Amino acid sequence: MDTNIEQLNLFVNIGLPILILMIAYFIGSHMEKKHFRSIREREAKLQGFPVVSFDTMPDEWRVSSSHMVTGSIVISLDYFKRVIAGLRGLIGGRVKTYEPLLDRARREAVLRMAEAARKQGYDAVFNVRLETSRIANARRDGKGVAGVEMLAFGTAVKFASRFANSG
Amino acid sequence: MRFVARQPQEGVNVSKTHPLVEAGTLVAGLTLIFVVIALSLIYLVEIALYFISPEDEAGLFRNWMPEDLVTVAPDDEKLYQTQLLLDRLAAHWPDAPYTFRVEIDDSEVANAMALPGGLVIVTQGLLDEVKSENELAFVLGHELGHFKNRDHLRTLGRGIVLSMFFAVVTGNDVGGIGIKVADVTLRSFSRRQETRADEFGLAVVNSEYGHVNEAWRLFERWEDKDRSPTGLITYFSTHPDTGDRIADMRHQAEMHGWRTDGDVTPLAW
Repeated sequence: MDTNIEQLNLFVNIGLPILILMIAYFIGSHMEKKHFRSIREREAKLQGFPVVSFDTMPDEWRVSSSHMVTGSIVISLDYFKRVIAGLRGLIGGRVKTYEPLLDRARREAVLRMAEAARKQGYDAVFNVRLETSRIANARRDGKGVAGVEMLAFGTAVKFASRFANSG
Repeated sequence: MRFVARQPQEGVNVSKTHPLVEAGTLVAGLTLIFVVIALSLIYLVEIALYFISPEDEAGLFRNWMPEDLVTVAPDDEKLYQTQLLLDRLAAHWPDAPYTFRVEIDDSEVANAMALPGGLVIVTQGLLDEVKSENELAFVLGHELGHFKNRDHLRTLGRGIVLSMFFAVVTGNDVGGIGIKVADVTLRSFSRRQETRADEFGLAVVNSEYGHVNEAWRLFERWEDKDRSPTGLITYFSTHPDTGDRIADMRHQAEMHGWRTDGDVTPLAW
């Protein structure tokens, strides 16, 4: 009886977290690969669509209309990344497991913004800015982080005559 | 200015390190660091033992009890008789700095523990297993041996170090660490510590009864049961191999010229 309970305890305390860690790793890395693949494909499709961070338009641009466009994504950590980052937090240094996550978030946000602009018939986006904010975890008195929002915004413009004056 | 469309540079913001490599490096490195810290703390415990006299310890822990101890009623007959027996045995260690106290832990797993301040805990399971007073006397004498050699503090110190280690690793509150019976049960003494405690226990039993007959009978019964899978596994896991212990004790009895025959005293209850 006692040994069964002890084994159960051992499983719950050590085995289960390791199992969840492994599942989180496999699902998380699969989804990450898939997301990067989709990001690359969509970036390739948007090739030729100017998305720039100048805060004033280049003089050559003759613009007929403009509008603000935004692209936003909320992205969350998987358990594996969280645990590894927790270990990293003990000694400090580059939190390498977070880097692809934030890279995905930035590129996805910019992509969504650019895709929205193109869909609405704009020809370019300038003055592009990126903002992040933490989404608090409701369960732990708002102390934990449920995810990070990455917001890309900029001014979408329609050229009077498409690239008429470039060069 | 000409706008030249380019694909964003791939991967400059992402480390090339594979996440599993990162995980492995961190886990291995941190484990190493913690092992070094734990070992140094254990070494410090050894040093601290020189500065804590048994009298100080007895004073500090005079009325102390582990938080999770499930005690029996204070007027329990077995508790009373075990305390009487322990007092009789302790009389053979006249300059003992402790006032020994017995508490019964309401657990089915047969075990006995030596805790700071001269607190001896025997489990209900052990009291159900012993068949004669001599068997119980040896178990109590063995615990007295741990006090004599100060093994209980050494092991407790290590235990606290390990609990702190786990609390830090799992992110629990370090302040919440108390000494619990459950922790002590999992802390093992070394083979050498057990052998020395056995020797002391046998000496006490010999002084009390004039022989060591039946002193290790309990262990022989456990060995006969051939490590029956219930309950006792816990005991075996924290104590050296029973067969070796019995052989050691036979050898000690022979060496000291203790008689291995004599009248066995029945239990007082």
